[in-house]
Amino acid sequence: MPEADVMPSLALPETLTGSGKPVSVTRLRKTYGGVTAVDEVSMEIAAGEFVTFLGSSGSGKTTTLMMIAGFCEPDSGSIVVGGHDMTRLAPQKRGLGFVFQQYLLFPHMTVWENVAFPLQLRGVPKAELRRRVGETLEMAGLSAMARRRPRELSGGQQQRVALCRALVYRPPVILMDEPLGALDKKLRDQLQTEIKRIQRELGLTVIYVTHDQEEALVLSDRIAVMRDGRIDQFDTPQELFERPRTPFVADFLGAANFLPGQVAEQTADHILVRLDTGGLLKARPQAVPPAPKVLAAVQPGRLVLCPAGDGFCTGTVETVTYVGTLVRVTVRSDGGADTGCVRLELPAGRAPALGARVGLTADPGNVSVFADPEHGG
Amino acid sequence: MAVLAPVSDSTAPAHHKTPRKKRLNRVWSDRRTRFGLFNAAPVVVYLLILFVYPIFSTLMLSIEGEDGGFTLHWYADAFRGANLEILLTTLRISAETSLLALVTGFLLAAAISRLKPLWAGLAMLVVVVPHFISALVRTYGWIILLGDNGVVNNVLTDIHFPGAPFQLLYNEIGVVIGTTAVMLPYTVLLLYAVMKGIDRRLPAAAAGMGAGRLTIFRRVYLPLVAPGLVNAGVLSFILCLGYYLTPALMGGEKQTMVASLIDEQVMKQNQWNGASALGIILLLLTFAGLVLLRLGRSAGEALRKRGAAS
Repeated sequence: MPEADVMPSLALPETLTGSGKPVSVTRLRKTYGGVTAVDEVSMEIAAGEFVTFLGSSGSGKTTTLMMIAGFCEPDSGSIVVGGHDMTRLAPQKRGLGFVFQQYLLFPHMTVWENVAFPLQLRGVPKAELRRRVGETLEMAGLSAMARRRPRELSGGQQQRVALCRALVYRPPVILMDEPLGALDKKLRDQLQTEIKRIQRELGLTVIYVTHDQEEALVLSDRIAVMRDGRIDQFDTPQELFERPRTPFVADFLGAANFLPGQVAEQTADHILVRLDTGGLLKARPQAVPPAPKVLAAVQPGRLVLCPAGDGFCTGTVETVTYVGTLVRVTVRSDGGADTGCVRLELPAGRAPALGARVGLTADPGNVSVFADPEHGG
Repeated sequence: MAVLAPVSDSTAPAHHKTPRKKRLNRVWSDRRTRFGLFNAAPVVVYLLILFVYPIFSTLMLSIEGEDGGFTLHWYADAFRGANLEILLTTLRISAETSLLALVTGFLLAAAISRLKPLWAGLAMLVVVVPHFISALVRTYGWIILLGDNGVVNNVLTDIHFPGAPFQLLYNEIGVVIGTTAVMLPYTVLLLYAVMKGIDRRLPAAAAGMGAGRLTIFRRVYLPLVAPGLVNAGVLSFILCLGYYLTPALMGGEKQTMVASLIDEQVMKQNQWNGASALGIILLLLTFAGLVLLRLGRSAGEALRKRGAAS
């Protein structure tokens, strides 16, 4: 089977554009036998917005999506799509679009029939149906495969058929549950770009579920980072990356270094943290709950090397690993054995020698401060 | 080739059929082939003695005239008068039975496939176990149930059901009920296997797109079960064609089926040639059923392909 997986950048059909509607979720709650899967989740999603629920398994992201879809009934809370309350509506009455990880194409129908199916359900006249199915398939570069059965297609092609099937009836919201989870990395990257392009140009409201941070960052206008059935933070990728509000977000999205210390000074334009290793680290101004101990979080890519003795910390280069255009460096900091290593990501040309003595600095804007949860914060 | 050349030279010197011989030699010289043939020998002998020989001798009997020469008049007899009627009755009862077995089997299998595994296992046992009991005993069971003073008629009379008691035995109703009961395990087992193989998220996906329950059943569920329905239908039809016991015991004069006719010709009239012809006709009908099944499938496929093009 030749892999024709490059979607041509054709003009997008006008019949599909501007169909996205806003979604409002209020205090959604779901428990399974005493275990709370989703705990008071609230969010406002604008029309035409791409929102991702990001979290590890068991974070409640899929349960939240299934409640919006109608496959799972919430214990309490409400779901409003485009001004209509859909909390207790059966899935077939909601008119939403779905793309699942397992594609779920109908094996007894051809590609064309699969995409035409939702339109037939809506009693779309034959001529219009033919035009819309044709346009949608063409947009996805699947015209040549209209008469094939799903099992005759590759995984990427099948998922594109599933996408067409969800797009063709212009649903107000399209829900996607790890749609690229079963595909290999290269195909995933390609389809991400295509999904994002179609979503933006058609003005679709998309709610997307994934556990892949990179995918969430690439696709989303806003990301809801979920943990234990709650939303830790619901923000743009940039905000999440640069101003994480919890240590979990800083760790999950940025794989941040956490440096323990105490707040030494807090003013309107900065916070000074006295690190356990002795150095002073300047952080951006932010609200820090009063706590005896704090964690200063800096992402590996935001650290800069400087001469030993300068900066907030001095240490010895322990490992240097080349990762393409980047080098990953770990520095064992002086003072205090439990402080462990600091991880850095530097441009490949700036790699220090193994065993070199180096200092570390960071722009205060890139330093977040959290109350240390292990010390009663 | 050079290695093989002396072999072919010694077996068939200077003959234009050499290449085929050579190939045969090569196949035979393959140790795995020889071993395989050796292993297959018992089965081949078994089939030759118990399958090919009887069918062949039946075929010979059916085209042997009274004077020992070739004739087709046994076949002509089979398609004439009372015999033709019996043949048509057989086809009709088989069709009715397989239809009823399909509908009942579909409902049963659909219900069982929704049960939890433990209950599904038990329900399956209930469906299959009667099959382990002698067909004779089962048929007499039905006769007791369906008789003029049987349980069914007594209950219907007690509740003053209009028209009760009904004649449920020694007519077509009796034959169809009895034979359907025999075919039911086959249809249930076949359909259950197909239904279990259907991804249950597919109907859910259709519901998500806005399909109602009836549409999901008609457009998604039924087409996915269809191959099983065709298989089960053809199988029970074929099994019915040659079925003897139940129609003979539960039917009347008008429900005589081909198997009973064969029995009568052999046992009462000592008419082996006519019986053989009937047997061969049954066999051909069975083959025809299987061929129809294949044709139907490829025709459906072609129709779908053309339909998709529009």
